[in-house]
Amino acid sequence: MFIHVTLSLLEGMWTAIELFLLTLLFSLPLGLLVAFGSMSKWAPLRHVSRLGHLPAALRHFRPISALTELVVWIIRGTPLMLQLIIIFYGPGMWFDNNIWAFGNGRMVACVVAFVINYACYFSVIYRGGIESIPQGQKEAGQVLGMTKTQIFFKVTLLQVIKRIVPPMSNEIITLVKDTSLARTIAITELVKAGESFMKSDGITWPLFYTMVYYLLFVGLLTLLFNWLEKKLDYFK
Amino acid sequence: MAILEVHNIEKHFKNVQVLNDISFSLEKGQVLSIIGSSGSGKTTLLRCLNFLEKPDQGTILVGDQVIFDAADPATQIEKEVRKKRLHFGLVFQNFNLFPQYTALENVTLAPKLMAKETGRSPEDIEADGLALLAQMGLEDRKDHYPHQLSGGQQQRVAIARALALQPDILCFDEPTSALDPELTGEVLRVIRSLAEKKTTMIIVTHEMAFARDVADQVIFMDGGYIVEQGTPEQVINHPKEERTKQFLARYFENA
Repeated sequence: MFIHVTLSLLEGMWTAIELFLLTLLFSLPLGLLVAFGSMSKWAPLRHVSRLGHLPAALRHFRPISALTELVVWIIRGTPLMLQLIIIFYGPGMWFDNNIWAFGNGRMVACVVAFVINYACYFSVIYRGGIESIPQGQKEAGQVLGMTKTQIFFKVTLLQVIKRIVPPMSNEIITLVKDTSLARTIAITELVKAGESFMKSDGITWPLFYTMVYYLLFVGLLTLLFNWLEKKLDYFK
Repeated sequence: MAILEVHNIEKHFKNVQVLNDISFSLEKGQVLSIIGSSGSGKTTLLRCLNFLEKPDQGTILVGDQVIFDAADPATQIEKEVRKKRLHFGLVFQNFNLFPQYTALENVTLAPKLMAKETGRSPEDIEADGLALLAQMGLEDRKDHYPHQLSGGQQQRVAIARALALQPDILCFDEPTSALDPELTGEVLRVIRSLAEKKTTMIIVTHEMAFARDVADQVIFMDGGYIVEQGTPEQVINHPKEERTKQFLARYFENA
């Protein structure tokens, strides 16, 4: 029985890992994009003086930044579980068009929800990291004739990465446990796999046994982050 | 022939006028010191020359070529600015070395990124970087990271980094203000040796004695205006303007 449960949970674990990896793969770069959006200084009304004198609030209005901040507010302000339900059931319920009705549509819908959610959280961490780099670093690059792209990739990026490792590790560890929300749309991840033995065999220990899997996974990640922090310890 | 001509630069931040009608010129191989109290506009002037700030009025010429004209947007195109600012090198008050690179990498980073345009080989750039560090007395520190260096050493690396791009004019923004008095000397020595090699330099400084020794020309600024300019003999030893006298008196009193 123990071996049977172990293998069954491994399957659930694999689903969780898939969700975990796919979420990171897409949300890490998307988060950076969202971060740039929220930092956008584009204020198209600044130069519109032909319309007469605009109030300061309008002249300083930054539409890209405002829009991304609105999205981040909504996503961070509502439960991921609800977002998952809306994204998976929404199209079928409200538009009579279940766009997820294909092979592993459930999983894809789940990844989409997770990616959007995590990109928003990551964006705030990225922004904090980028804004914490002293202006002098950018200026030093500028006076040395570097382009904006060169400054970002050759000067800023590594310093940002060093600073965001601790908050990112927090968020990524939370993601491990958030994968259990996938069961909301009937994906058999780890917790659901463990719980299923309660119904089928009337035993509860597999559910608690799942903790071992989570702990091992998070333990591994912790080691990885510690290694990364050490690796970046060569500069201050 | 003047390598640098600055005509009627004006700059304001919000409602504060920080530079008023700034005009001066600098001969090739000469050293210009800009002195004045904090908030007099010295640093802003330097930042204008390096395109870190955009003047509201005025023109800047380097070797007869107009590199900035506030009235002519064609002189302010981003891409051109990147090339034009290479006429100037800038050494910052707090060094601004890149922490993740070694001393040598700090010096060679920009030349390497530019290798495609300049056609220089990595070996050439590396050798040049080493020679510059040696000139700064830092060849044995080439593999150290900035946090492993003293402030004076960091500033010397920053000077080497600025020199690596062979600017026409090297600017210093209070290069010793962030240093312990003990470390000031080693940086000033390096700047002095550059002056002896006829490097064209603009030095914003509070080291009055140093300005007097090294500079060919001194500008005293106050409230965004050039109050007085001339040789160190004229401006520092025999100031004409009351404001200059006050400033220098207070300075030498404290020193």
